[in-house]
Amino acid sequence: MIVLRYVKLPQENFEEFFNSLKRWGKLYAPVKKGDIYSFQNVETLSEIALDYTRTMLPPKKFFVRPKDEMLKLKEGHWEEANGTEPIVLFGVHSCDIHGLEILDKVYLSDPVDPYYKKRRENSIIIGISCMPDEYCFCKSLGTDFAMHGFDLFLHELPDGWLVRVGSVKGHEIAWGSEELFENVTEEDFHHFREFEEKRTNSFKRSLNKEGLADILDLAFDSPVWKKYERICLGCGNCNMVCPTCRCYEVCDLWINAYEAVRVRRYDSCFMETHGLVAGGHNFRPTRLDRFRHRYYCKNYFDPESGFNCVGCGRCDEFCPAKIEHVKVLDKVREGLQ
Amino acid sequence: MMLKLGVFELTGCGGCALNILFLYEKLFDLLEFYEIKEFHMASSFREHDTLDVAIVTGSVSTQRDLNLLHYARNHSNYLIALGTCATHGDVQASVEGKIRDKLEKVYGTKANPMRALDSTPIVQHVAVDYALPGCPYDKDEIYQVLISLAKGIEPPTKDYPVCIECKLNEYECVLVKKEIPCLGPITLGGCNAACIKSGVGCIGCRGPLPKEANPASEFEILKELGYDEEYIRRKFKTFARGELRW
Repeated sequence: MIVLRYVKLPQENFEEFFNSLKRWGKLYAPVKKGDIYSFQNVETLSEIALDYTRTMLPPKKFFVRPKDEMLKLKEGHWEEANGTEPIVLFGVHSCDIHGLEILDKVYLSDPVDPYYKKRRENSIIIGISCMPDEYCFCKSLGTDFAMHGFDLFLHELPDGWLVRVGSVKGHEIAWGSEELFENVTEEDFHHFREFEEKRTNSFKRSLNKEGLADILDLAFDSPVWKKYERICLGCGNCNMVCPTCRCYEVCDLWINAYEAVRVRRYDSCFMETHGLVAGGHNFRPTRLDRFRHRYYCKNYFDPESGFNCVGCGRCDEFCPAKIEHVKVLDKVREGLQ
Repeated sequence: MMLKLGVFELTGCGGCALNILFLYEKLFDLLEFYEIKEFHMASSFREHDTLDVAIVTGSVSTQRDLNLLHYARNHSNYLIALGTCATHGDVQASVEGKIRDKLEKVYGTKANPMRALDSTPIVQHVAVDYALPGCPYDKDEIYQVLISLAKGIEPPTKDYPVCIECKLNEYECVLVKKEIPCLGPITLGGCNAACIKSGVGCIGCRGPLPKEANPASEFEILKELGYDEEYIRRKFKTFARGELRW
């Protein structure tokens, strides 16, 4: 998929455009809930926190749900449990779009996950530009700008939005509300570049990727892992909020004496049973193994497929022990020198 | 063939036995597979027999409790320790000191006519086949366990802390965002993060996550947030003194 074109959405048409999206599916956008943000069903533009930093759960939750009914056992037969409805995700940040593309590689390659596929096909992604906070390090991973993986992407301008059209569906949406859009002027592009430049210079954190795969190779027994393992609670919060963690657990729950549902939920590689296999062997029996494993999975597990991290900063923001992803890797690097 | 079920109550508030009755209409699902041979909270009917499944609630706090526990164990094939009293000792076991000293402090005499013992969880006295903590436990958990057993399925045990279910429900993290002392990261899950849903911190009523818990780090985190060491220690010990040497 390629970017088809750029259009401009003047601020005075923004609300009307937003409302027009409801035609395409149930509308979800980031809203403020206490001190966190969360993608929720919204009806009006005023409910949305357009300047949100990051939601606690990434948009992954719409495709691999935290608790997901897969099958229902009824009268001795398994029936498929969940229907799919068209949804529009409004206001997705670039890092999360990259996160979904990483999940696509896992869930859409053979064997395809039918639940994920159906929901992905029935979703519209509207990206939105953002400013980094103290946790963001997407720039250093190249996930700070999305070239694909969205239908429309909105970039903030002083008097409206520069809209990048990223798919045929996105084209249709823009086409369907053609009267709301204008042509992009040189001045708009100038403002767009100005915004991007300001954004680029606002990052406070960056991950040093140089030779990281080799470093991790050499640092398996680094004392740095041991130091952090003592601080780590092993609570799995980092996994739960991660846009690229893809492990799940499947369990059956009884709903009455003869009927049941098969549910899958997010799993965490910090749980002892995550590495447990038949016969009682555990690939990662200690918290040290599990702590280290997460860093290898995110940065090295399969060097060919690239990083399983998009630098969204969720694991740092929601770690009760305040362990910082980038800092751990920097310390591991330092430990080798 | 129907399975024979007995529910035994040792010393506790009685809530864990009552919680079974709170299954209401779902009790009928259980009665598809079980006949109840003893359940003091529900009925005075009692038929002493060998049981397929015995549920024991409460902690061992008197000689009578210990005798009843041995009876339940010796007459059942599968014994479930139900509730934190049974699995970790709960509040009554958090009281430190010897029983005779405690009696003297409260009653002014070391005499022990009720044959009281230092409160201990039942897991310290007999082997249990399944331990389901919670003060109280989530009633759906015992429902799932009993139906699974009836179907010949070994009921799975939880292996994750409260944080996991908290995040699955997308509740705001009260520890990170509100600096409320929350024991969620080191406490066994299964409660669906009921306390955090209401905006209060986890009090650790389900006891520590077996093997996984890192209380030392949790201690440091709470200290960093400005909580008093003694306060944290007491918080840790409230429900599970008998189980973990914090």
